[in-house]
Amino acid sequence: MNDTGYFGQYGGSFIPEILYSSQQQLLKHYRQAMADPDFIAQVKREMQQYSGRPTPLTHCANLSAQIGGAQIYLKREDLNHSGAHKMNNVIGQGLLAKRMGKKRVIAETGAGQHGVATALISARLGFECTIYMGAHDIARQYPNVFWMKQLGATVVPVTSGSQTLKDALDEALRDWTASYEDTHYLIGTSCGCEPFPEMVAGFQSVIGEEVKEQAMAQIGAMPDKIYACVGGGSNACGIFLPFVGTDTELVGIEAGGRGDGVGEHAKRFHTDQAKFGISQGFASMFIQDDQGQLAPTHSISAGLDYVGVSPILADLSDRGLVRMTSAGDSEVLAAFKTLMKAEGIIAALESSHAIAGGLREAAELDSSQNIVINVSGRGDKDIFTIAKALEDQPFNDFLRSYLEEGQ
Amino acid sequence: MSQLATFIQQQRHTKSILLMTHVIYGYPDIASSLQMMGTILQKGVAILEVQFPFSDPVADGPTITDACHQALQNQPKLGQCITDISQLAAQFPSSRVLLMSYLNPLLQYGFDALATDMAAHISGVIIPDLPIDQHTMLAPLVAANVDPIWLMIPDMQQSRIDFVAAKARGMLYCVSRKGVTGQGAGSQRAKQQLHDYLDAIKASTQVPLALGFGISTAEQVSELIGVVDIAVVGSALLRAFQAQGLAGFSAKIDELMSVS
Ligand SMILES: Cc1ncc(COP(=O)(O)O)c(C=O)c1O
Repeated sequence: MNDTGYFGQYGGSFIPEILYSSQQQLLKHYRQAMADPDFIAQVKREMQQYSGRPTPLTHCANLSAQIGGAQIYLKREDLNHSGAHKMNNVIGQGLLAKRMGKKRVIAETGAGQHGVATALISARLGFECTIYMGAHDIARQYPNVFWMKQLGATVVPVTSGSQTLKDALDEALRDWTASYEDTHYLIGTSCGCEPFPEMVAGFQSVIGEEVKEQAMAQIGAMPDKIYACVGGGSNACGIFLPFVGTDTELVGIEAGGRGDGVGEHAKRFHTDQAKFGISQGFASMFIQDDQGQLAPTHSISAGLDYVGVSPILADLSDRGLVRMTSAGDSEVLAAFKTLMKAEGIIAALESSHAIAGGLREAAELDSSQNIVINVSGRGDKDIFTIAKALEDQPFNDFLRSYLEEGQ
Repeated sequence: MSQLATFIQQQRHTKSILLMTHVIYGYPDIASSLQMMGTILQKGVAILEVQFPFSDPVADGPTITDACHQALQNQPKLGQCITDISQLAAQFPSSRVLLMSYLNPLLQYGFDALATDMAAHISGVIIPDLPIDQHTMLAPLVAANVDPIWLMIPDMQQSRIDFVAAKARGMLYCVSRKGVTGQGAGSQRAKQQLHDYLDAIKASTQVPLALGFGISTAEQVSELIGVVDIAVVGSALLRAFQAQGLAGFSAKIDELMSVS
């Protein structure tokens, strides 16, 4: 990265002038904090004592035998407090916001995982908390909304535009333009203006650092390949960055959705529906139409349903250091079931994209080779979506009787 | 000196304050939006600001954001927008027309193509998500005499004011307070702060100043006489249209034009 936040042609800062001074303030404090051993130690301690790090690297003997190729290992970010890697980022940014003397944090959320993580850290660190969430996503992910509210956060439904993650991000930016004096914008992924991509990727890099140590201890070698799902790109950056430039191949899996038509997927690579663009504070690959309007997206997983992607990953992909591929909704659901039955692990639908990509390629590898798949989160939150996709009738009966009992 | 700045200064010889009013291309449909623009120009408003809608207008409040999303349903094309508003500008040579949009639609069109297509009739461009630090992106527009109009905000450090002032052409668009478009003005104390803020800018530049965000009545416009050169009215006109259609829109312009 250069000193204006560029990664190749991507990144930078494209924000209204009103945000300039708060961004400069954030940059200054972030650089100071990262140079302060006490701050680094504080982040590490909170990651251990609040979130339960290090998360394990789990060897999947059954699954490896069943697929009949490489040895499959899972990096268990699902075992973080809150059930996803999102916790790593909110601990880092939460402690930074505290250090900066901020009283309030705001965040955007898609699936609600980042919203819950932000509400958790806000309760712990004593911030007032406002979460922006697309009205469409609130309808899909009410249980997360319930917990955010119980934790004391204000959840603001965003009814403009496509009513999903990008619109929530727009609304959080609007809030920040009026509130920056006492408010930190705790962005949930490795996107946005400088220093957010670098900062979020940095706090998430604990994932890859741990994998390095664990691979040496458990495998005796570095993994041949690492797989991660790519929404905004934070879990992928986190597990990839410590391996960039090594012999380990890094593979990102995007949401292939239900087809290749406009609005049917969330692919920012290998499609002519996405191209270089500048929006939401940064330059990257954005799904857009010929007029430069950001386009609608779809994924079975709310967390991968984003029009842009981390400038860090766009650059690594351009430079051939990360390979991007995708998995469609039905392949993802099949991979989700395969893992669950073989190993007793319920992965998030987002993470199941990485599993689908990993299983697809593991079959073609030799049994002496090792792959690591990042399980970015656990799947409990997806119970409604999965029950519906699996057409589980008793689940509907349960919901009906639950409602009747309440009356 | 920039043609836009010269125009503003000439107008100010006879008018104590100029008006700049805002219309979204394509809202509620393309024909009606052109009709609104025509009304504005016919009534002699000095500067017309045309917003080409973008899906993610982060510097706009709910009134303009929702209208932009509705405008996008009509699939507006930037090339056609420039053609349409250039025609209006040619028809009303005693006013000036500016294009406002967010960076991405302009970037996709390309700044060289924009410079070529805008040079004849469009005086300037306003891009709220393009910070001054990226000014070199707009070099083709500057070369074609289409002025990039930079935004100024309260609480800017002197070094930042100087940086923008050095690049300023045509006019500077001063935002009256933090936040997004479409919110109300403030107290006596806020007014004093506003004057201090504008004085700091005036000390650094000769370029004409426009003030916007939250101006909705003739009374507010008249309070700005002697304070800035141009009063910008956006959301208030849109709300007048939404409440009472073209008649309400037209009446609101008459009200605002009564001050000058
Ligand atoms: C479990 C899980 N994995 C992955 C993601 C995608 O985000 P990112 O690409 O930033 O890791 C999300 C986002 O909500 C998530 O909840």
